[in-house]
Amino acid sequence: MTDPQTLRDFHWMLEILQTIDVGLVVIDDEYRIQSWNAFMENHSGRRAHTVKAKNLYDVFPELPKEWFSQKVETVRQLNIRAFTTWEQRPYLVRFRTYHPITSTAEHMYQNSMLYPLMDTKGSVSFVAIVIFDVTDIATSKLALQQANSELARLSRTDALTQLFNRGFWQECLYREMQRSRRHGHTASLIIFDVDHFKPVNDTHGHTVGDEVLRHLGRETRKNVRETDIAGRYGGEEFGVILPETSAAEALVFAERFRKLIASQTIQAEGVELSITLSLGIAEIDENMKQVEEWISAADAALYVSKDEGRNRVTVSSQNR
Amino acid sequence: MKPEAIRAEPIVLSDIQRDCYQEIANVAMGQAADLLARLLNVFVELPIPQVNLFEITDLHMALQSLDQEEAASAVCQGFAGDGITGEALIIFNDSNFDDIARLMNYTGEHSEAMHVELLMDVANILIGAFLKGLAEQLDLAFSQGHPAVLGQHKPIRDLLRPTHQSWHQTLAIEIIYALENHPVNCDLLLLFTEDSIEVMNKKIAYLLED
Repeated sequence: MTDPQTLRDFHWMLEILQTIDVGLVVIDDEYRIQSWNAFMENHSGRRAHTVKAKNLYDVFPELPKEWFSQKVETVRQLNIRAFTTWEQRPYLVRFRTYHPITSTAEHMYQNSMLYPLMDTKGSVSFVAIVIFDVTDIATSKLALQQANSELARLSRTDALTQLFNRGFWQECLYREMQRSRRHGHTASLIIFDVDHFKPVNDTHGHTVGDEVLRHLGRETRKNVRETDIAGRYGGEEFGVILPETSAAEALVFAERFRKLIASQTIQAEGVELSITLSLGIAEIDENMKQVEEWISAADAALYVSKDEGRNRVTVSSQNR
Repeated sequence: MKPEAIRAEPIVLSDIQRDCYQEIANVAMGQAADLLARLLNVFVELPIPQVNLFEITDLHMALQSLDQEEAASAVCQGFAGDGITGEALIIFNDSNFDDIARLMNYTGEHSEAMHVELLMDVANILIGAFLKGLAEQLDLAFSQGHPAVLGQHKPIRDLLRPTHQSWHQTLAIEIIYALENHPVNCDLLLLFTEDSIEVMNKKIAYLLED
């Protein structure tokens, strides 16, 4: 006779498995569904008897067959458990979240565990699939990652011009120097400065001055190539790193940019004004040991432009 | 750290105990290797597992076979059973990635997603097979937590940076999986908590009596 207490425990266990908030599916060696608990019924909208003996991949066409079968076969062959996480694939089977209205997630994120079920002969023909709802963990982790990458972006961006800030830009310059040395590529540096910027601030106020810088930031971003690295170096001073570009090629870009800016009218606070730029170019050369020397060479060229009457481009004397 | 958590006397392993752990690891590994050979159709070479007690802060030293400076990736998975708790780590240098991918019959584009997938697959198989063997010998059944990516493309020093710990020592079993004709070097590291060591010592005392 079965002990009534054991029988009661057994019924309790079954009841708990049926109602536990975790998905339970058992499949046979042909991937036919043998068992299916209430979590699966409720989230899929399909009752156990309607999926019984149906092929798992027919019931869930979104489940990648090759990928999942490989996991199941590992479990069967090695008689071990296997796990999948939402970081590999957000879900095994597409269910809605428990917060279809308030959640930011469009679907339930799932972890799963697969484990072998031995038959009476000691071989594994059935595999249990346990599906865990990890939507809360996944969405907060994703939000955290997003916040971190936004913070990283902010920490390297100059708020006014949206170009890179000095710290990050200089780091890029250092890296470019390393790269150029390692691979023997050349690279050029352009430093430019707004002519007579102080009078703009003094005459029209800082809001107009800021708008001039914002305008320059926009135009720089619009005109550099994708591989060029533009940053705000100081107050009204900007720098552009041009990888794999000679001084002669940089000169073509610099001239075009100088003419473009000189031709534009900037409107701010009801004021219309035009600005001009002085630019200096230095191509990297092997005698330069530090990034500072590269910057100095471009800076010196910029000051030649200033001295010779502004609104012009000068290539460093080291490159001539 | 709470003062009472600090043990007055550090745990020491006798030579006999160390040999016993090594033997247990050997047997578990043999079973795991057999399973792997069947799954992957390669012969798995069996080096002697390294058994050591480490200060938790010296954890990275447990990984002798790996290049400390080179970028590596790791997955960890916790386990618990019968008063024994610990974590299993799978670590390999990123330079081994291609060989491991080939071994696991991965095809297609290399991507971050594929990298995570491969880490998980290797972890599932190596950790799963080893824990199964270990559990059988210790006559228990482990519960296993979900595996988690500990980090990718970082020096080992940064991957294994134990934070707040209420315990000092860890029993580490290091297994270096090498495969015949495949230049694959993959480390399986099993770390047991300080209080698990006592429980395991009792368990192996029973084995040593036989």
